[in-house]
Amino acid sequence: MIQEVQFSASDFEKDEPKELMLLSIISQSFFQPFSIEDNLLVILTALTSGSGVGFNRAMLFRTSGEILRGELWLGPKSAEEANSIWEVLSTPGIGYIEIIEHNRALLRREADSLTKRIKALAYPLDREPLAIPALPAAKREVAWVKGAWAEPLVDKSFLNILNVDEFLCVPLLSGDEILGEVILDNAITRRPIEHKDVKLASLCGLMAGNYMYTTALHKKVVEMERLAALGEMAMFVMHQLRNPLAAIGGFTDQLLNSTNDEARTRRNLDIIRKEIKRLEEVLFKLSPFLKLDMRKPISFELPPVVQAVLQSTNLQLKREGIQIEVEMEAGLPEILGDPTYVGEALRNLVDNALEATPKGGCVSIRAGRGGKSGVVLTVQDTGQGVPEAIREKIFEPFLSTKEKSLGVGLFYVKRVMDACGGRIEVESEPGKGTLFRLFFKTRDERRENG
Amino acid sequence: MKKLLIVEDEKALCLLYKEELSREGYDVTTVYDAEQALAKLSQEHFDLIITDIRMPGRDGVELITEIMGLRKDVPIIINTAYQSYREDFMTWAADAYVVKSSSLDELKAKIKELMSR
Repeated sequence: MIQEVQFSASDFEKDEPKELMLLSIISQSFFQPFSIEDNLLVILTALTSGSGVGFNRAMLFRTSGEILRGELWLGPKSAEEANSIWEVLSTPGIGYIEIIEHNRALLRREADSLTKRIKALAYPLDREPLAIPALPAAKREVAWVKGAWAEPLVDKSFLNILNVDEFLCVPLLSGDEILGEVILDNAITRRPIEHKDVKLASLCGLMAGNYMYTTALHKKVVEMERLAALGEMAMFVMHQLRNPLAAIGGFTDQLLNSTNDEARTRRNLDIIRKEIKRLEEVLFKLSPFLKLDMRKPISFELPPVVQAVLQSTNLQLKREGIQIEVEMEAGLPEILGDPTYVGEALRNLVDNALEATPKGGCVSIRAGRGGKSGVVLTVQDTGQGVPEAIREKIFEPFLSTKEKSLGVGLFYVKRVMDACGGRIEVESEPGKGTLFRLFFKTRDERRENG
Repeated sequence: MKKLLIVEDEKALCLLYKEELSREGYDVTTVYDAEQALAKLSQEHFDLIITDIRMPGRDGVELITEIMGLRKDVPIIINTAYQSYREDFMTWAADAYVVKSSSLDELKAKIKELMSR
């Protein structure tokens, strides 16, 4: 027998070990779409919620460069408040939004008093002699401080804020990096810290360090991907511009130095004209990256746009040996969009379809009613299909399987469809071909939807 | 007459290089890709090879690697639209690196320099 188990932090009953719930809350917070600060707050809350387990208060230090800086402080002001936080956390069905809202309210309350003083604390991690709180972070070890007032290694300005005799320092580590440190104490209940609290807090520290590390790493990867895409584009554009410029420059110099050879002058001017046209094409292809200057969608007839696209010379040249089938339902309602951009999007799709289809193959373009009183335009080819590995990404920019393509065609089509409130779908089978469906809205549909 | 082999996939540039370098007194052969270049190299001797990097099929870096295996003594000039390949380790194997521009002066100067060595 297999039983499926849906698990969430709020599934815990009140009589279950609080440690389990604590760890559950922390680990689940890592998957929530909140900021790193909010999630760190959840961790601090979990560590400080309730007098039975964990601690009364938590103070967070984070490193920037080689300096450990006080960042925030969390904890109830009294034993009653400590209990009320635990009540909040153990409310059946509590969500992270509630926990985070609760935390933010607590932080706002504290913003003027203790947190302000904590934010003034800064300890270099690379300069001897190291005092607590910098020492545990620098040594990468949990430190359990008892009899703090008598301990010369504890920084006194720090202790004046904390004002307790016993506390715990848990470094937040990931690999080589020191990310910060959490200070935990029982200032309100004055309950002595127990060995099991230390173990639990150390475990939480490990989890938090890991969380901070993966979050930072993820951010870095996203940024690198963006930069790589930009770099790729810059490289491609450079190539696309330099080649025509080299030809234009070279043939112009020839004209400037030449004797009166009329045939050659004419030839050079022809080449120069063609290269200028190429430069324009590069700019045009890049236009999806500049803001598409979409006018408000207007209502227009699709069939004439399809016909105009199919008659363009560029497509006529490419269609040699390939059959083009066109089927348009009679009496189609007008669609909403910008006819220029819709035509350009279709030209892109047909262009791709012709390139993907071998001689003897077929490209079919169909328009009919589809969706909810809308119009659907399909472009189907009998080409090699889109490999499954990249099918999900084909609408992303700079993804091209073609040697000389910028990889912005489908990205452009997607943007056009988004701009006119429609959508695009793709179906593809390797070796058999690809089918694109463009769903357009009509005025009727808009009216029906209110 | 010194013989030059130019590998360039842009047809307009091939024409330009052929005309301009012939006028400088070289015997110029142009090919559009690495395959054609290797075929030519197996048939004839050339005094200098000028190659683009990004080309359809095998690229210029692969071509240089193969040429080095075949003919270590032939100097190579990389002539490309990309500035950034200069750091690429295989392009160090070339004798000169020229970034394409609207003037042929630099390319002509590099050819002259390598041919007078």
